[in-house]
Amino acid sequence: MVSGVRQPVLDSLAAVVLAAGLALVLVVAAGRLESARVGAAETEARMAAALWEQEGGGADAVAGLLGERATITGADAGGAGPGPGAYAYEAGALEPAVRIAVTPPPADGPRGALPVTAIAIALAGLMVVTGWVLARRRGPTRTRYPVGIAFFSLGCMGLTAVAAGRWADGELRSLSAGTAAQGARAVEIALATGAGPDGAARVAQLPWAQDPSLDSPTEQWTMPAAVAAAIAASPERGARTASTTLSAMPERDVETVAPPSPTAQDASAGTPTIAPHTVEADGATWHVARTADIHVAFLGYERTASPALALAAAGGLAGLLVVLVLHLVQLASRPRALRRTLAAWGLLTPAAALILAFTLGPLLFSLWISLHEWRLIDPAPLFLGFDNYAALLRDREWWSAIGNTALFTLHVPVAMAIALALAILTRGSRRALRWARLALFLPGITSVAAIAVVWKWLLSDQYGLANRGLERAGLGSVPWLTSPDTALASLMIIGIWMVAGYQMVVFQAGLAAIPRDWYDAARVDGAGSWQRFRHITLPGLRHTLFFVLVTSIIGSFQVFGLVYVMTEGGPLGATDVAVYHIYREAWEFLQFGNAAAMSWLLFAVVFAATWLHFRFLDARRAHG
Amino acid sequence: MSRAGQGVVLRGVGKRFGDVVALEPMDLEVRPGELMVLVGPSGCGKSTLLRLIAGLEAPTSGEVWIGGRRVDDVEPGARDVAMVFQSYALYPHMTVARNLGFGLRVRGTPHPELERRVAETAGALGLGDLLERKPGQLSGGQRQRVALGRAMVRDPGVFLFDEPLSNLDAELRLRTRDEIAALHRRLGTTMIFVTHDQVEALSLGERVAVMDRGRLQQVGTPDEVYRRPHNLFVAGFVGSPPINRIPLSRDDGGRLAGGPFALAGPAGPDRATLAVRPEDLAVATPGEADGDASGGEADSSTVSGSRDAGGSTPTQASGSAYSGDFRATVLRVEALGSEQRVHLDGPGDAAWVARASPALRVASGDRVSVSVDWERSHLFGPDGRRQEGVSRPAEQGVSR
Repeated sequence: MVSGVRQPVLDSLAAVVLAAGLALVLVVAAGRLESARVGAAETEARMAAALWEQEGGGADAVAGLLGERATITGADAGGAGPGPGAYAYEAGALEPAVRIAVTPPPADGPRGALPVTAIAIALAGLMVVTGWVLARRRGPTRTRYPVGIAFFSLGCMGLTAVAAGRWADGELRSLSAGTAAQGARAVEIALATGAGPDGAARVAQLPWAQDPSLDSPTEQWTMPAAVAAAIAASPERGARTASTTLSAMPERDVETVAPPSPTAQDASAGTPTIAPHTVEADGATWHVARTADIHVAFLGYERTASPALALAAAGGLAGLLVVLVLHLVQLASRPRALRRTLAAWGLLTPAAALILAFTLGPLLFSLWISLHEWRLIDPAPLFLGFDNYAALLRDREWWSAIGNTALFTLHVPVAMAIALALAILTRGSRRALRWARLALFLPGITSVAAIAVVWKWLLSDQYGLANRGLERAGLGSVPWLTSPDTALASLMIIGIWMVAGYQMVVFQAGLAAIPRDWYDAARVDGAGSWQRFRHITLPGLRHTLFFVLVTSIIGSFQVFGLVYVMTEGGPLGATDVAVYHIYREAWEFLQFGNAAAMSWLLFAVVFAATWLHFRFLDARRAHG
Repeated sequence: MSRAGQGVVLRGVGKRFGDVVALEPMDLEVRPGELMVLVGPSGCGKSTLLRLIAGLEAPTSGEVWIGGRRVDDVEPGARDVAMVFQSYALYPHMTVARNLGFGLRVRGTPHPELERRVAETAGALGLGDLLERKPGQLSGGQRQRVALGRAMVRDPGVFLFDEPLSNLDAELRLRTRDEIAALHRRLGTTMIFVTHDQVEALSLGERVAVMDRGRLQQVGTPDEVYRRPHNLFVAGFVGSPPINRIPLSRDDGGRLAGGPFALAGPAGPDRATLAVRPEDLAVATPGEADGDASGGEADSSTVSGSRDAGGSTPTQASGSAYSGDFRATVLRVEALGSEQRVHLDGPGDAAWVARASPALRVASGDRVSVSVDWERSHLFGPDGRRQEGVSRPAEQGVSR
């Protein structure tokens, strides 16, 4: 009855969801590729701009590199439209400023525009599922769970994702090679227009784009030795270049050779001296070219974010949806269960969506960032794997920040001891005690920024109340925040002042939960006040102490506001704590990949500490 | 392990919390080796009294003497007392062994002796297998034993029990009661036991101190307290089902009258309360009453003070000699096996309960005649005090 109405609807839903999932996978692959195209256009635009600014460069050089794909307009020309997806780049700090708009490189052949195989697989799968839906409409098999069709759908999704991935990978590869070749050509043109080899190599605007012999002060442009060796060993080097040219060519030789004569320039313009090819080195693929006497090796897009991750995510999500719908299809024969399931999902969805959007999503995104080199503006972040993490392990500043954080955390036990003493001293319902509790609790609910500003003033070297007081008392002033020896200690004192009140309130709740009978029994047993504290209060507060310890340590690892306002990590990095370090890495140095990796390492440290504590607690509880 | 118990003497001991009077100043003596039960409804001050003896509260007035030593200013741990709490107050983070030994440990008892005494106590209470457990892993009865053991292990001069049985189920409570009585016989130590359960008090105590509203109402043996309650409160509090009462007031003839009764009361107060325990009432069906008239408790007091208008019943109409003090209708019969409790709609406006032998055949709705054992009935003045020897019906011939 009810199921008779609903079942076909749900069956069709299965097909629709499958179609949507497949489309999602294809769109993700295509989108990823499109952004890489734009990225390539951007790189080319930057090459063009560099050429434009090159001495002897200009429109001709740009045209020589990009031909029809570049549109040069005046900087003020505004919306004079280059093609769709074009990347415009302003060039010319000198006059006249221009905009060079570059349309993305065309797809490589007719198959390049469409992931034909993937689409074919998707269509075939969709047809099978649609057929199944139609068949069920005629003779519904109500009780059997559509396991087969579920697996088929998932398989179809997987195959499509793999095919789309392969297509996108191939396209990226050829895009990569094309851009690398463009880089080589740009270098060549630059050389031809009279640039020095050092400047010419820079024109390519690609990472690691130079012969090792052309050591430049900016390490970014130096070719790693392993790459140089790989190029030397590659068969494509061709007979024309002697091995010595590459590996041992002294700089002055290059300089003598590099500026070609105008005639040589004309002869060789547009043609790399050897065809671009690739070598494997340093765990990556390098696009190598040689123009005139300069070897250039570019890191291609293979190491930028492969669509595989995104595809896997999209495919997984779509697969989940398909399974969900098929589950509903199976439930359709039991209307009550179906209603309940739908209601449950309906109620869960808002909360789940919030968690997904604001907790789980950012979390995974930061994990993704930590695997890349990402500067917030790169269209195609460089995929580094665990390089960020590996680099962190060797990063002294990071470990010093961790060390500072650990030192800072030492204020927690001190604060807890003080808070416990305060909690015991201010127990009771007398008015004065209530006011005392309120006063002690206030710092915990006051804005950190306000606290930091006030304390910064109090502890100021010359005008601070603290030092004026000390001077009045005939004692010397203390460089509270201005000496590397005292700054962290000062922050720890403020940290104690901030958390002790809150901890005190928690301890008081814990104390109130200890039955009075225990104290009475201990008194009758003859225990003095210290023994009662030692044998009744402390064990009775065990869980409270643990809770306060863990939350305070976590809070202490996250200290930021105090440092940000009061010391900015100084002096001499003495108060450079982990979160502040992360903040600077991300927002000052724009190294989001590093910053994300740091965040995850910090998370791992805190998590491990908490887990150990819990294990310890459980063990004690279990063994008595 | 058994030492002579210490006597406990309270002289004028009172306690107030701010404006609230918890205990009126009172005197109480607990003899060495005695098991004294403090009993009363909740809030009567019995626990406060116990805590004053233990030293957990300081008295506002008066003196506390334990074993001939004044201990007002002595810490609880130095008073030679041990206490068992209602909640047992076991230290949850310590094993049974450490719980037992805590009192000895904080006193710096040498380790070998501590071990020996803990083992001894555990053996005596059958806790030997549980020594390494924590209180959370014990049953209620086991915890109770540990609490007892913690008191015993220190071999104190006085044991204080603060409602130690109230957290046990009924069966375990009876068993533990017997065990505490046996323990008292064996150790011969002074024990002061607080309870709100009058049955527990009567069955356990050598003497019972009944308290109400911060006052000591009566101190005596269970029999004295039961048979000769000093006041209406004690009469009402002790005994189950509770004592039957009816208010009386002086009539024109100078008698104390109420319901069907007219008593030759003593000169003095115009008001009084007659109280009769359920077992001091004899219930008979009117037919039986004829047969029983020759003897037995039903007509132990043959002179009738009855003004019951029972003439309408057929048996009455038959003109046979009527015995019994009043007539009433049976509302409900509780057959408890060894006895029956007969709920009556009289005398007068009161609703009394009589205890009867299971052999009596009555059912709800029956008209019965009820005789009062005047020897054992009690008369209390308007201030609640006992009036001696006056609970006698006035001689009179009025039967209508």
